Amino acid sequence: MSINALLAWPLIASAVLALTGPRLGRALPPAVAVRLLTAAALVSALAAGFALAVAAFAALAQIPFVSALGHWSVTVLDTGPQVSAPAGALAGATVTALALAAAMRALRGGRDLLTAALICRDLDAAGGGLVILDDEHPDAYALPGIRGRIVVSTAMLRALSADERRVLLAHEAAHLTRGHHLYIQLAELAAAANPLLRPVAHAIATAVERDADEIAAAEVADRRLAARALARAGLARASAPARLRALAGALGGADANVITRARALLAPPPPHQRILATLVTAMILATSAVSLATAKQTERRFETAQASYTRHT
Amino acid sequence: MSTTGPRPRGALERQVLACLAVADHPLTVAEVLTDLGGDLAYTTVMTTLTRLHDKGALVREQVGRAYTYAVAGDAQAMGSSVTAQRMRRLLEAGDDRAGVLTRFVAGLRPEDEQLLAELLAVTEHPEPR
Repeated sequence: MSINALLAWPLIASAVLALTGPRLGRALPPAVAVRLLTAAALVSALAAGFALAVAAFAALAQIPFVSALGHWSVTVLDTGPQVSAPAGALAGATVTALALAAAMRALRGGRDLLTAALICRDLDAAGGGLVILDDEHPDAYALPGIRGRIVVSTAMLRALSADERRVLLAHEAAHLTRGHHLYIQLAELAAAANPLLRPVAHAIATAVERDADEIAAAEVADRRLAARALARAGLARASAPARLRALAGALGGADANVITRARALLAPPPPHQRILATLVTAMILATSAVSLATAKQTERRFETAQASYTRHT
Repeated sequence: MSTTGPRPRGALERQVLACLAVADHPLTVAEVLTDLGGDLAYTTVMTTLTRLHDKGALVREQVGRAYTYAVAGDAQAMGSSVTAQRMRRLLEAGDDRAGVLTRFVAGLRPEDEQLLAELLAVTEHPEPR
């Protein structure tokens, strides 16, 4: 494969992933979707960044001053990727900006996870990590930490029957035991490093909720009960004061929509989709292989260019 | 409704705690058992209540020959105000971007209320098999 094709592959793979990600997230079983889509997003983001950096460097090295500095033969480098100076500059600026955005997202994610872990440490939770807040607003969430906490308001507990409360508690416990918050943060990191992947990050966030729903449904051995718990909790939040409704509307968007989740629970359990999972895995491996090939080819060309430069002087 | 899934120890502690947190008066073992559902053994619930009491999560009082249990007052407090502030910040952070907190129910649209009511009606009918 020519070097230009190698450089284009990660960008094409990212675009394909962006287009198919939401559909893959719905078709694959949630637990598989969470892992595969996160791996695919991370590999695509890294590979695309690397391809941009190689393109930028190829253009940079063709500037006579730079090639003299690196002791590289320009005639040999000319056989490499044909990147014009403006295109190289654009690639360089893009990869720098994206790397900065990714670094900032990583810092923000790390800081939020640390804050959550500190709150977990401060929250006294003697009963299996459950923290009950005396609050009139119906709310429930998982707080990740070394020993994570499940936080539920009394208003949410009152809105549900004992059976439905069991679904809610199992759902939140699943987030903690599966380490879902890490997948969400990694997906956000990939989307920051490669904005094409934004729809994939949404798909991962949705799959995370679906995964927790499926685990909760399995624990109570009743999909209909799990759907009812979701509908009841949704109604409790919907009938909450207007201030809270505005807040709820801003949360997560329509992707992790409670209606979609409840309908999925009323449908039969998701099929395995082994062929689809294999295809996505193959795409991840191919993108990794292309990046390795790019690295090898680029290294070899610069070595040849250096050897040729030494011979001619 | 009878449920047959396994109940891990931590999960049962959470269910018992949640049940007592919304009860308007202290409950006996039998009352907790009735609330939680049919597949649990009396002794299992009793053991869980005793363990939670030993950990300080519950307070108990002897009424006649039985104990009644209630959530210990400080179990519901949000620790220090610093903790509460941090928590608010994290929740607000999650409003405009993917935060580290995952809510049970989020992403509600204004038109969802009607749909939710319909879904609830569907799920309240006995399952057709």
